[in-house]
Amino acid sequence: MSSQSPIRPDPMPLREALRGLRHVLRRGGETLAQTITVDALPGPAAGIAGAVLREVGGLAHQVDRVASGLAKSMLGGNDPGVANLTDLGHARDGDARFAEAVYVALRSVLKRLGAPGAFVSEAAARKVYAQAGTTTAAVLTLDLLAARVLRDAAAEDTARVPPSELEPVAIFAVLLWLQSARSEAENEAALDAATDLAIAIAPDVAQACATGDAGRLTTLFDKYAAHV
Amino acid sequence: MSDNTLHPEAIPASNEPLRIAVRRLRWFKQAFQRHAEAYGRDLGCEFQIDEAKLASNFVRWLESIEAQKPSDKTQRRAFFEFASALMLRELTADLPVKAKSPPTRANAASAAAFWPEGYLCTMFCLSVHAAAMAQEFDATTEIDPAIDDLRQWWSFRSNAGQDASFSAGFLQMLLGQQPNWMMPDIFRARLTSELT
Repeated sequence: MSSQSPIRPDPMPLREALRGLRHVLRRGGETLAQTITVDALPGPAAGIAGAVLREVGGLAHQVDRVASGLAKSMLGGNDPGVANLTDLGHARDGDARFAEAVYVALRSVLKRLGAPGAFVSEAAARKVYAQAGTTTAAVLTLDLLAARVLRDAAAEDTARVPPSELEPVAIFAVLLWLQSARSEAENEAALDAATDLAIAIAPDVAQACATGDAGRLTTLFDKYAAHV
Repeated sequence: MSDNTLHPEAIPASNEPLRIAVRRLRWFKQAFQRHAEAYGRDLGCEFQIDEAKLASNFVRWLESIEAQKPSDKTQRRAFFEFASALMLRELTADLPVKAKSPPTRANAASAAAFWPEGYLCTMFCLSVHAAAMAQEFDATTEIDPAIDDLRQWWSFRSNAGQDASFSAGFLQMLLGQQPNWMMPDIFRARLTSELT
């Protein structure tokens, strides 16, 4: 009797789809609440509209919860580990590990930057890495921007960088963190520090990204990776 | 005895030499946070840290070190000592901390009560300096009695408000050195001053 290993489908596309659904529901709910001003309606209409909105909100919340639960618990992809850009280059599944690390790290960086609602595409990050391979952090940064790994990145009023600098700064921070020497215990503090450094040099980073200047980005990475 | 004591316990542990660790933002932030907590307890006030400003202070400090670092290896120790003066310059140029209330436990005539934020930044720089000098050169840092003179602090605050480079001279003075007050934040000027 032959023994066959069970087929283990790649969970990433489903995870990405669930995250996309969750994002749309959250954004849709926010947009609906901002667009429809129930208070401005006459009494009876306001009551009906309010009830409908609450019903829709409850439904969206339930679907969001299920989608989040599936994406987080059953499908994995939440542990950035102590990924290092050099190590990833030597790993057999480097593209998957890179994409997972980028996803988790970007979510954290976006919160710190004041733009927690953006959609992060793990699929796009994996594709970039698979195509670029063991290239430089500067090229990966530009490729990740071009692939729109960050989507729908609306900064809140309290955001720490101007909207035009949000995407380059966030992606630069993650690539800077991936190059920093750190222990597992220092992972979170190192990511926060990489984000703060990226914010401190945001105009430089944004300018280099806007002009596609990989040389300038390499200089910035070389200069700051040891100081995360 | 001076009331202005350092807090060596607020220096975070590191597997790396302090000269390396202090140039990592995550260590620098942790060290500053711990000093803010320690001096907050001493003074009876809470300090609020602006992390964005602290990161900018840190980046400017790195840049000033890089710009002034002497190529002559014999100057290593002198520049090592000077680096903390540059640190205070950057911290006072755009203070990354604010006392949320007046100190309740500080002597009303003390530097800490007079300018809690400037006092914290100064003590932080002295503390990092002392720890690094002890580790790197097995040297003990003696702080000049001028630290207890409120007139010096008044002058420090007033002058640093107009020109942050004054802070570099103030710290050198507290370390018992003779700053070049014309250019207190220029390492080469400091050497020239000592030779002439």
